Amino acid sequence: MSTVSVRYIVDDVDAAIDFYCGQLGFEQQMHPDPAFATLTLGDLRLVLVSPVGPDHPGGGSRPMPDGTQQQPGGWNRIMLQVSDLEGTVEALRPSGVRFRNEIVTGIGTKQILVQDPAGNLVELFEPIRSEARLTT
Amino acid sequence: MTPDPLDALRLWNVPIEPHPAFADALWQRITGGGEAVARSATVRYFVEDLDQAIAFCCDQLGFDEELHPSPTFAMLYRGDLRLLLSVPGEPHALPDGTLPEPGGWNRISLQVSNLNATVAALGASGVTFRRGVTAGVAVDTALLADPSGNPVELFEARAGYHERTTTKE
Repeated sequence: MSTVSVRYIVDDVDAAIDFYCGQLGFEQQMHPDPAFATLTLGDLRLVLVSPVGPDHPGGGSRPMPDGTQQQPGGWNRIMLQVSDLEGTVEALRPSGVRFRNEIVTGIGTKQILVQDPAGNLVELFEPIRSEARLTT
Repeated sequence: MTPDPLDALRLWNVPIEPHPAFADALWQRITGGGEAVARSATVRYFVEDLDQAIAFCCDQLGFDEELHPSPTFAMLYRGDLRLLLSVPGEPHALPDGTLPEPGGWNRISLQVSNLNATVAALGASGVTFRRGVTAGVAVDTALLADPSGNPVELFEARAGYHERTTTKE
């Protein structure tokens, strides 16, 4: 069971599916509507939605009561653990994946920011101390 | 040759085809490494006031504090969700100096069993909602804002809600 759900707003659900499944190892779970798909990776369920009108049946992606549309972007992000960050980055670069920065070494992790086709961020990290490591 | 009576009790010796992907995944589980697939999912949120954010997540949303080693970083857990709270600062600046900030629309989505009651209880304790209970196709949702303005979605499953029952390794 996917126990953690995250919703990302994207401008093009199909492009986002290609990106997350093709580059980052997600698996498509469902894609019943052009504006909605769910993907899984481990215990993470990523819900991809594109902004819809106020009458669309998909409640989560509708505008706010004041009409404000939801948009991609921002800085909050999912984080994916990899065992070899340099190797992962080198493998992703040739396929045209866009990075927002270079590898940064922090206190618990080495990390880099990947940008999805809609401009949302995904943080890839390699633990460099035990507290930061996710174990199976 | 007389059959060994213990044969009846022995398990079948099943030949297993070598499967490198499976072997790799198994090895990563054993060594605790793990490519992107790990048991817990991690999300980073940027917040303005770390103590206020920790109190909000723990008191209102049921997170537990795991680590709070510095005034600019904390690690919380809620089930399999690991939520990292970071205060924007130099370590998170882009090469051009741009600092991250709270907000945006991407969000964690927390399942509750009674959305109306949860929203009412949170509203009574002063939690701000960007949008109240909204009916969708398979879930009803509500969207609240944390003290820094980050969205957090609450959802309750409706009839027809689908969830994969097994996690693929």
